[in-house]
Amino acid sequence: MMPQIANKPNESIIRVPFETPRLAEIAYKVLGVDQEPRRNFVKKTLSLENDVLVVHFQSDQVKSLRTAITSFFECLLLCQDTINQFGDSKKEKLIPESNDNAGTHSSSDSP
Amino acid sequence: MVCALGIEGSANKIGIGIIRDGKVLANVRRTYITPPGEGFLPKETAKHHREAILGLVESSLKEAQLKSSDLDVICYTKGPGMAPPLLVGAIVARTLSLLWNIPLLGVNHCIGHIEMGRLITGAQNPTVLYVSGGNTQVIAYSNKRYRIFGETIDIAVGNCLDRFARIIKLSNDPSPGYNIEQLAKSSNRYIKLPYVVKGMDVSFSGILSYIEDLAEPGKRQNKRKKPQEEEVNNYSQADLCYSLQETIFAMLVEITERAMAHCGSNEVLIVGGVGCNERLQEMMRIMCEERGGKLFATDERYCIDNGLMIAHAGAEMFRSGTRMPFEESYVTQRFRTDEVLVSWRDD
Repeated sequence: MMPQIANKPNESIIRVPFETPRLAEIAYKVLGVDQEPRRNFVKKTLSLENDVLVVHFQSDQVKSLRTAITSFFECLLLCQDTINQFGDSKKEKLIPESNDNAGTHSSSDSP
Repeated sequence: MVCALGIEGSANKIGIGIIRDGKVLANVRRTYITPPGEGFLPKETAKHHREAILGLVESSLKEAQLKSSDLDVICYTKGPGMAPPLLVGAIVARTLSLLWNIPLLGVNHCIGHIEMGRLITGAQNPTVLYVSGGNTQVIAYSNKRYRIFGETIDIAVGNCLDRFARIIKLSNDPSPGYNIEQLAKSSNRYIKLPYVVKGMDVSFSGILSYIEDLAEPGKRQNKRKKPQEEEVNNYSQADLCYSLQETIFAMLVEITERAMAHCGSNEVLIVGGVGCNERLQEMMRIMCEERGGKLFATDERYCIDNGLMIAHAGAEMFRSGTRMPFEESYVTQRFRTDEVLVSWRDD
């Protein structure tokens, strides 16, 4: 159960643009799984607008709001770094991967 | 054939492991080490893990000589542990799962240790002593669950050791427990300490407070106490380390033996970071031999938290048909060992 937020909460809306709608959806799914810690009394709502991830924070206290936003950005940056390092769009493929291999489990090693 | 990548970062170690059908392909790890006298805090530990984790993933894939398409499942530690470090592992695991379109599994940290210990040592159905900085449990398998027969009722045995190392300002490199072990070897002078076994359970907080007073008599002066002559107290740090080990390890041996007797077991497996301790292994081996049983233990590659144990436990889960919806890929600081259905064992 989400904690009750006062009638006039402190609010913040953050819009994060991504390169493609797919990447925005990945970030939306990755970051949407976790609930805010209950005792922080923060409400976080994620939504998608094409290639933009929209995050709405509501909180009773400014300090809780700041903590929640800081934590969110840490998670967001980690997610983005992961996408940058291991995503398909990387030109120089240290770990080569093509769309044809997506979902398959081929292996050239003999058992 | 299941090829699994595991991510472990529930405490101050961040590790990535890759395993395929019981064969170790990669096992890389980094430890966050704090100055002497300090423990690691969740926020700083998570920062360290964020900085290290992507490099470790890349080097593990290189070491295993695999492409992402060779992986069948990505596993991460769902819990128990510290929330901010756990979250680092979970976020990277989720992102890789979606990027590479590979199934995702959340693994219980304790079961990771048990399954890794079983794989490496070949123990079939041992009584398990799981001892680390965050956990102290005596576990036996029964009816699709790893049952907790006994455990600490306050702090873990490794926590007790680590905090004592802080009190006497031992180095945290490579680990405070290791440094206590080395110092204990240079003494054989035993100091009587509280021995707190409660049936199948144990308690360590009283021992920690008692030995803290021995280590720093002047600190925390009891104002009610009438000023007495200062006790003759010539204990060295080595004496304290030796005595602490003898006392708490004897307690662990006792509860393990009691569990063996209850279950009619003939094998003991020690897992977890404190399982590296050679004195604990020696004491446990003596007890096992006296009972006509056998002791299994692993070295620090597998005793200490690592990504490989998560990969292996996850591979076992995956092979037996376990699947996890993406919406359930959260982390939880408390995740009891006996909450997990052990679908991969038939005995």
